Amino acid sequence: MNINRLSWLNLISNPFNTMLSLLLMGFGIGIISLLLLLNNSVEEKLQRNLKGIDMVIGAKGSPLQLILSSIYHIDNPTGNISINEVNKIKSNPMISSTIPLSFGDSFKGFRIVGTTHQYPKLFQANFKSGKLWSKSMEVVVGSDVVEACQLKIGSTFYSSHGFIDGGEVHSEFAYNVVGILSKSNTIIDQLILSNSESISKVHNHKSDPSHEHEGVEGSCSDDHSEMITALLVKFRSPIGLIKFPRQVNETTNLQAAVPAFEINRLINLLGVGIQSINMIAFIIIIVSGLSIFISLYNSLRRRRYELALMRVHGATRFQLVRLVFQEGMLISIFGLVFGILFSRIILYLVSLFIHHNYSFYSIQLSLIKEELWLFPIALFVGFIASLIPIIQAYRINIPKILSNV
Amino acid sequence: MLKTESLSFSYDTSHVFDFPDIHLNQGEDLLILGDSGVGKTTLIQILSGLLRPQTGFVEMNGTSLQDLSSKSLDQFRGSHIGMIFQQSHFVRNLNILDNLLLSLYLSNKKQDKKRAIHLLQEIGLANKLNNMPDELSQGEQQRAAIATALIKAPNLILADEPTSSLDDKNCKKIITLLKDQAALTNSKLIIITHDQRLKDQFKNSVVL
Repeated sequence: MNINRLSWLNLISNPFNTMLSLLLMGFGIGIISLLLLLNNSVEEKLQRNLKGIDMVIGAKGSPLQLILSSIYHIDNPTGNISINEVNKIKSNPMISSTIPLSFGDSFKGFRIVGTTHQYPKLFQANFKSGKLWSKSMEVVVGSDVVEACQLKIGSTFYSSHGFIDGGEVHSEFAYNVVGILSKSNTIIDQLILSNSESISKVHNHKSDPSHEHEGVEGSCSDDHSEMITALLVKFRSPIGLIKFPRQVNETTNLQAAVPAFEINRLINLLGVGIQSINMIAFIIIIVSGLSIFISLYNSLRRRRYELALMRVHGATRFQLVRLVFQEGMLISIFGLVFGILFSRIILYLVSLFIHHNYSFYSIQLSLIKEELWLFPIALFVGFIASLIPIIQAYRINIPKILSNV
Repeated sequence: MLKTESLSFSYDTSHVFDFPDIHLNQGEDLLILGDSGVGKTTLIQILSGLLRPQTGFVEMNGTSLQDLSSKSLDQFRGSHIGMIFQQSHFVRNLNILDNLLLSLYLSNKKQDKKRAIHLLQEIGLANKLNNMPDELSQGEQQRAAIATALIKAPNLILADEPTSSLDDKNCKKIITLLKDQAALTNSKLIIITHDQRLKDQFKNSVVL
C-alpha cells in the first residue's frame, strides 16, 4: 500500500467522474492533435510538390485554379494556350527553364499529362521498371496508378475524356506502358506521363466541331497551331518572381501565377476554419480542466475525514498534497495519451476511405514536433485544476474535522 | 511514560480549559470522564499533538511534543500514538486489510500482511478482510477502526468516546478488546468519554 496505489484506487472507484474528465481531456487533445497532423501533412505535401516551380503560365482565369490544376492536379484547367505565344515568353533571359504540360484526359480517374522528360526529373522520380517514353503513345505511370489499375510494362489502355472515370473513351489510339515509377510521395505518383504529341494525337483526329473539350481542345478550335495547358517556369534569380508575372499578366493574353503566393493564400483561407476548430478544442480542454477540478473538489469534500484520518495515522501534509496532485495528473496524462491515440485512429479510418484522390492522408503515427506542445498544455490544465484541492488538502484542519462528528 | 503538566487551552478569551496533570506508566490505563463541553476532545487533541497547548507541556517517553516541528510531530504521532474516534473513519476506497496496511505505510512501518490478518482474526473480523468499510456493521466498523490504530503497536492508545454509539454488549466487547490489546503490546491506554458505563471497568480515572 502506498500513495501511488491509493490515488489509482481513488480514480477507479469513481469511474463516471474519472471517465468524464478523461474523455473531455482526450477529445480536446485529440482534435488539436488531429488538426496538427492534417495541417502538417497537407502543408508538407503542398510544399513538396512546389519544388523547382517558381511560376506557372496558363490561360486567363483564377490564379488559384491554375495552380491547383497544373501543380496539384486537383482542379480543372483554366483553358489552353497556344505554343506560339508561349514561345515568345520562353526566350526571356530571366527564365532558366520551362516544362510544358498538356492534359484533359484521364484513365480510371488518373490524369494523363503530356510533357517533356524534364517533368519526372523535377520530382526526382526513379524507375521501378522500364524507361522513359521515346515516342508518342508511350506512357510512364506513377506508383499509385499502377497499384489501382493493375498495370504493368506492356499493358495498353484507352484514355477517356475529362477527369472523371466514365467519360467518353478515346478508343482510336491506345496508350502503351513503357515505364513504372517508384513511389515518390509527390503528385507524380498519381499521374500517367507521356509526351505532348500523344495528347494532341488522341484529340487531333476529331473533326466534329460540336465536340466540346475542356482542357486540351486545340484540335477542336479553328486555330490549328499546337496548344498546351500550362507551362511551369523556373527563374534564374528571385528577381524574376517580382517583375515577370506582372509583365505577363499585363501585356499578354496569358496568365502567370506564382504558386508560393497562391498556396499561402489558400492556407490563410483554410486557416480561419482551422483556427476556429482549434479554439473549440481548447475550450473542450478547459472544460475538461473544470471537470477534473469539480470531481477532485467534490471527492475531497466527501473525503475530508479520510484525509484527516491519514494525517492522524502519520501522513505528512506533503503526502496528502501528493495524493491529490497525482489524481489530477493521472487524469491529464491518461487523457493526453487517449487524445494522441484518438487522432491516429481517426486519421487511419479516414485514410481507409479516401484512397488515392489527393492522397494527402498518409498516416503519421509518430509524434510530430507541434504535438509536443500538447504535453505541457495537458499537464498545466491538470495542475491548475488540482491547485485549489491541493491547497485544501494542505490546509486541512484535523482537530476541527475530527471533533465535528 | 506519559507526563503532562499544567495544560490549558482556550478557543476564545472568555473560556479557558484547564486540564489535570497526567502521569501514566507503560502498560497502565486511564479513564478520563467528563460531560459534554468540558474539553474532552480538546484534551485528546493536545495529547496527540494535533493541538498545541497554550500553557504546559506533554512529554512522552522522554520526548517533549512541543519541541517537535509539525512534520516530525506528524511522524511521531504516526508511529507512537494510535487514535480511535467515536465515529470510525476509514479510507473508503480501500478494503479493511488495505486500510490496516495503509496505516502501517503512513507510520513508516513494515507492511506486515500476516500480522494484519492475524490481528483481524483476533478481533473477529477474519471473514471481512476484503470487505469495503461501508459493508461492515457499526460494531464491526468500530473494531476494524481499532485494528487500524493497533496494527502499528503504538506506545499510547488514545480513544475518544469509543463506546458512546454502541449498545451494552458491543460496548463491553470493545473495552475488553482495547484492554487486552493494550496489555498485549504493553501500551498505555487512555479513554476519554462521558459514557458512565465504563466507570467500573477502570481502576484509574480522572473526572474533568
